[in-house]
Amino acid sequence: MGNLIKSLGAVRYLNQEKIVFLLTVMLFAVFSLILPNFLAANNILSLIRSVAVLGILGLGMLIVVLGRGIDLSLVANMAISVAWSLQLVSGGMSVASAMTVGLLFALGMSLITGLLIAYAEIPSLFATLAMATFVYGFGRAHLITGTDVVYLPSDIGWIIHLGQGTLLGIPTPILVAGAVALIAYLFLRFTKPGRFIYAIGDNFVTARTGGMPVRPMLVVQYVIAGGIAFIAGIVTATSAQAMNTRVVNSNMIYDVILVVVLGGVGLSGGRGNVRNVIVGTLLIGVLMNGMTIMDLQYTVQNVVKSLILLVAIVADSILNPRDEQTGQQGDI
Amino acid sequence: MQPIVELKNVTKEFYGVPALRDVSFDLAPGEVHALLGENGAGKSTLTKIMAGVHEVTTGELLVDGKVESFKTPAEALQKGIAMVFQETSLVPSLTVAQNLYLGNEKFLNRLRGIYISAQQFLQSLNFGVDPTMFVSQLGAAQKQMVEIARAVHHKAKVIIFDEPTATLTPEEKHHFFSLIRRLKSDGVSIIFISHALEEALAISDRITILRDGQHVITDDVKKFDRDKIINAMVGRTLSGELYGKAGDKRAPRPYGQKILSVQNLSMGKMVRNTSFSIYSGQITGIFGLIGSGRTETAKIISGVVKRDFFHGGEVKLEGRSVRYRVPRKAVKDGIVYVTEDRKLEGFFETKSIAENIYLNLLAADLNKGLTVSYSEMMELARHWTEKLNVRAINNSARVVELSGGNQQKVVIARSLVQRPKLIIFDEPTRGVDVGAIAELHHVINQLADSGLAVVVISSYLPEVLNLADRILVSRQGRVVEEFSMEDATEEKIMYAAVH
Repeated sequence: MGNLIKSLGAVRYLNQEKIVFLLTVMLFAVFSLILPNFLAANNILSLIRSVAVLGILGLGMLIVVLGRGIDLSLVANMAISVAWSLQLVSGGMSVASAMTVGLLFALGMSLITGLLIAYAEIPSLFATLAMATFVYGFGRAHLITGTDVVYLPSDIGWIIHLGQGTLLGIPTPILVAGAVALIAYLFLRFTKPGRFIYAIGDNFVTARTGGMPVRPMLVVQYVIAGGIAFIAGIVTATSAQAMNTRVVNSNMIYDVILVVVLGGVGLSGGRGNVRNVIVGTLLIGVLMNGMTIMDLQYTVQNVVKSLILLVAIVADSILNPRDEQTGQQGDI
Repeated sequence: MQPIVELKNVTKEFYGVPALRDVSFDLAPGEVHALLGENGAGKSTLTKIMAGVHEVTTGELLVDGKVESFKTPAEALQKGIAMVFQETSLVPSLTVAQNLYLGNEKFLNRLRGIYISAQQFLQSLNFGVDPTMFVSQLGAAQKQMVEIARAVHHKAKVIIFDEPTATLTPEEKHHFFSLIRRLKSDGVSIIFISHALEEALAISDRITILRDGQHVITDDVKKFDRDKIINAMVGRTLSGELYGKAGDKRAPRPYGQKILSVQNLSMGKMVRNTSFSIYSGQITGIFGLIGSGRTETAKIISGVVKRDFFHGGEVKLEGRSVRYRVPRKAVKDGIVYVTEDRKLEGFFETKSIAENIYLNLLAADLNKGLTVSYSEMMELARHWTEKLNVRAINNSARVVELSGGNQQKVVIARSLVQRPKLIIFDEPTRGVDVGAIAELHHVINQLADSGLAVVVISSYLPEVLNLADRILVSRQGRVVEEFSMEDATEEKIMYAAVH
């Protein structure tokens, strides 16, 4: 099969990102033909809107994964910091101060995560897993009283527009996701810390010997991810009129990793960019929307999602083999 | 006599780029056949075809007269062809004995049993390696020994050695060559890839030379001498200019300002109470056998590792006492270290040549402006690749795609953009072809002429003798002797290094 694909010539230049993009276009075309309501402008917007939060979280995950880490505490951080903010507003605090407190909480928690990983040298998988449990447990026990769901207070002010309403006909969650994507792109491409994160993810020892501030950069990437999680939480809460803290126990964090990996971001660090996350998110959006219109069961949807991920990864490893040949260039 | 392995008109292409063009090669039973050529000449590709790593694009591979097409190294091994790779292929988390028996374990794998038989086997080869050690604890030379032992252990009829002696000390090399002679007398055929021409001349029966993927010459070793080989390898004679002939010694550079003084430096078991000074405007060569603490000393000075907290000694940079916790501080103070292991810690493999160079400028905070500038990056890369004569398609090519010599030039460019006062080269020409060695030496000489303090750590005596204005000899973790350029000879230096 590998030889067959290679002999097609142009196909040789495909990589996972392009495969996933083509897959998205193909699915889109097929759904447009067989599903009567799919191509309606409203449906397209609601399709993108439904994955906007996933995309925002994916961007946070991207920054961490580029630095050869992983952040499993994103969803917990998002849910608890925003739920606490909402509760403070309900309790009479001004919206601005409550939001600041929530943001500082998210940043503070991710700062601790970053310090644990960079200075205590705990592997990111364990550190963030522990922090996810800690944030959720601490939040439920001491910050959020009452039920799992914290409803949006009526006097939340202009923030409501982040989750509801449209601007120039486009739902605002999409615009927020677009803005975060643009900022993440500019950060990764045009700032020193952005380039350093790529370098550290590629080769930690080389980065350190070259004189980069490697440990502070590790902390920075987790703190940024925490800030992005807070934004994602605000969008979630304002569109759903509530923040359900039980989302921490859902498989949302796996969906976040899914869109990042699906788009072709290398989990081994240093490879990938914002475009990969956008492509991965769009594929999931098209897929979920089409399957929902077709009225497929949730469990079936999960099976299809996982199959798509496996196909993308297998196709990539056939087209871009990582063997002795590519792993040991230089002396052929 | 029928050749044991034969290649007929083999062409091998990688993505349409030929690495071998119409090469024929044969290996007689029981001969030692040296395969020589610059980096990128196709030596590794040729042997990897025999070892089942690559398949031929066109042409035939014959083993014992029968056409074969190996899909995996395991199939080649079944036919008795084993390869000892340049990059070690051992499992670091297993012991030496477990690695030796890897793939041949009995169903009930008694550890004590394999330790005993591994011990006997290693002793029979005269290899001083403890079979119960974990491979991750071994030095490069010992890993190489285990790798060789494994090939011998598989009772291969053909063993291919890719640069086997690069990491060995003279004594270990001596053992290695006697092992090769013994294997040969047992009827094993050996292919020997090396950059060390003297070794090839000393040990082999026949020599084949490749250049740019094409066969140049195969002949009996008696028909060759050093100059003839180099001539065939590069198509020009440069032996003389490379390692300056005896008698035409240049005058040593004068001592400049004392830039670094090291007093009683210690770190663990590797660096023991060593003291020396480095001066600007000249090249200080540090010679020592592997394990003599040269690299560790350099890494302490450049902040890559920390020295002992108690009795760690003192390092003074321009009279000021310094103690670096991270390399970043050393880089800012103008000390850079050019690693001996460029593949592991020399460059970023997913990044282009240009970005590799630019990232070090950013790391030293020497870039203009606040943001990353891609035009500054390309301009910087153009300047340095021209200055150091890096040969690549363009500066957007990835560094891993370059040959060893060009990779090393990029690694050096990465260090030079940080505007160092003191630059430490650790084995600057390891795994670099003959042509590039001359260029690298030229660069190093220029740096010293321009007033930099240059340190060259090398295990290769002609290199130290040719480059250095003064030579420090390191032994068992400390600098034991110092020679000026005029009174240094190979014998004196070696005597100081081993006794």
